[in-house]
Amino acid sequence: MRRGIMLLSLLIFLAASNQAIGADLESRIQAMEETLKRQQKTIEEQQNIIEELKDQIRTQIAAEKPKTAVAATEPETQKPAGTTGLFGGSALSNPNISLVFNTYAYSSNLTNDELKNRAIRGYTTDGIDRKNGFNLDSAELAIYAPVDPYFNLYATIPVTEDGTTVEEAYFVTTSLPTGHQIKAGKFKSGFGRLNSQHSHVWDFVDNPLPYRAFIGFGDEGIDEKGVQYTYLPSLPIYTILGVEVLQGDNKTLFGADATGGPHAYTAFAKASLDVGDNSTILFGPSVITGKTKTSTVQANSDFTGDSTLYGFEFTYKWKPSKFQGFKIQGEYLYRSQYGDLTDTSLGTVQRLERYQDGFYIQSVYLWNRWEFGARYDMLSIFKDDYTLGGAKQDIGRRPWRATAMIDYTFSEFSLLRLQYNHDESDIYGKVNHEVFLQALFSIGAHPAHQF
Amino acid sequence: MKKLLLSLLLVVTLSTPAYAKINVCATLPWIGSLASELGKDKVNIKVLVKPSQDPHFIEAKPSMILAARDADILMYNGLDLEIGYLPLLFESSRNRRIQPGQPGNFDCSRFVNVIEKQPTADRSMGDVHPLGNPHYHYSPSNILRVARGMAQELSNVDPANSSSYRTNLASFEERLRNRQIQWDNKSLKGKRYVSYHKLFEYMAKEFGFQLVGYVEPKPGIPPSAGHIEKLIETIKKTKVDGILVTPSYGKEEAEALSKKTSVRVIIIPQDVGSVPGTNDWFSFMDTVLSSLQ
Repeated sequence: MRRGIMLLSLLIFLAASNQAIGADLESRIQAMEETLKRQQKTIEEQQNIIEELKDQIRTQIAAEKPKTAVAATEPETQKPAGTTGLFGGSALSNPNISLVFNTYAYSSNLTNDELKNRAIRGYTTDGIDRKNGFNLDSAELAIYAPVDPYFNLYATIPVTEDGTTVEEAYFVTTSLPTGHQIKAGKFKSGFGRLNSQHSHVWDFVDNPLPYRAFIGFGDEGIDEKGVQYTYLPSLPIYTILGVEVLQGDNKTLFGADATGGPHAYTAFAKASLDVGDNSTILFGPSVITGKTKTSTVQANSDFTGDSTLYGFEFTYKWKPSKFQGFKIQGEYLYRSQYGDLTDTSLGTVQRLERYQDGFYIQSVYLWNRWEFGARYDMLSIFKDDYTLGGAKQDIGRRPWRATAMIDYTFSEFSLLRLQYNHDESDIYGKVNHEVFLQALFSIGAHPAHQF
Repeated sequence: MKKLLLSLLLVVTLSTPAYAKINVCATLPWIGSLASELGKDKVNIKVLVKPSQDPHFIEAKPSMILAARDADILMYNGLDLEIGYLPLLFESSRNRRIQPGQPGNFDCSRFVNVIEKQPTADRSMGDVHPLGNPHYHYSPSNILRVARGMAQELSNVDPANSSSYRTNLASFEERLRNRQIQWDNKSLKGKRYVSYHKLFEYMAKEFGFQLVGYVEPKPGIPPSAGHIEKLIETIKKTKVDGILVTPSYGKEEAEALSKKTSVRVIIIPQDVGSVPGTNDWFSFMDTVLSSLQ
């Protein structure tokens, strides 16, 4: 019985306490739920704020990131390759420097003396300045860099066995109004195509006959002290117009002593357009005119007078890839010259008039690392008027030359070239069979890929 | 009358910038594609290098000089990739707006986390790029950084339209986020490839695959027989998933290698537009990454 009562009371107690606990729990849960709701609301509000902030940051990043990115990467990417120079200067203290080494072995059936006296009759008394065997053309130093935001400066200094010369040293403007540019100092004239290029980018070792006849032997060409102005208008096709005032030092065409000041003037125009993705043509006329005093017209005689050289150039290039290409290039030159020819031994003076022309056409085919080239050059094409003292002179048949060339490019910086010339420029002399084996190397600043 | 003429002149000169598009000149197709995503109808774009051309060996054609002459901005890859013709373009363009240091001179690589810098490199090592690997256009993370820089630069040159450049950038980023999810699902992790030229290093880093060898012994130098022998050994040892080449060169060597090792050749477009169906940078990356799978 007692046990029964105890059990009952325990049960009652349990039930009562249970009820009390239940009521208490309910109220607590309610309270918790309310807190949760409140917290949820706060979280939602905070979420909204976060989203808003995110958006703001995103737009800010869009606007500001570039600047911070520059700041972060610039020191890495634009850092010069280690310290340079004796005093640990930056790249700014060093201009771009490159050295082009040009050497060749030469073999001809003519002796060195025969070569030296090999004139082009009626055109020039200048011979061929090459010797059988090994020849060192030059180690040509090229230095260039921007001077400041307004000018770029260039110097080309070929070092030869005879010493050091300044082939080019000039500045170019970079901040004139769009399309306009001035170049001044000593530079290769914009006249013609080969003339304005450095000889080490030529497709053949030597220059063609009309260049030799009108501008002179060797690779200097019309390389003069003076000023050049060029204008590139905004037209649907590339057209460049240029004029130059030059000192007129060229020995064949003008001569340093012809007048007391600048005495050569140039004008040229070049136009270019692309034909499809891989082909480009470039063409245009040039003219150079000035006073002449030279001794290369005839042996033992001096000439003073006026000379004008007209030129027309044409280049077509097809280059679908690094390993395949084709190029055809030609120039026509016409020279008019009149004045007095003085015989230096007799002292007699005669009136001289020369209207002569010439052309060359050359073609190169690129296949993998090989290039195959052919060239044909000729003088007296349409005109070979040579009048001395009113009497027309017979200068004989047309001087001409044919060339075959093959070269191998190891890399962009080295090349081996084999060339054969069949030269009938001396119409009364022997045929000159000449063979060149040329090696060209370039170190230092990356060479420019000119068209 | 004079006043009328003057005010007319003033109206004409002042109102030109409002509707004139700015001229963007881009060296490479991917840069042109990015500029068109960010500039849309506010820019005229001229791309200098054709998608089929190797960017290392471009000549400064007169038509390129003319395009640079009329450019308000010249955008380029940088890291010396265009070293052969870019200095010529700057000078011959006779355009002061695009000279180095001007806002119109935009070097995309300024915004890139450049890898493989070799400050002590010389040319006996082949055609190396001392400033670092220039082929970052396969890297979405870097392209995002370039895009941000480009939008800012467009705003600098053409402040009147800066809001639309910002909007275009936002939608570009949105598109990129979505694509990135798809690209990350391509599961290229752990795959191994051999490639002809050093082109895919940024991508390998970002998508977690490996480049175990190169067909070229040195950048820009064609392979010798001895080098190929060694490469065949490497391929057999490491179980390579593919030999990577671009459509423009290296195909013959890669196919010969494929015959000897029975590893497939995978042709990867070198730039936007160099294979069909890669008209913009996004579809270009789609094609690149699906080819790798």
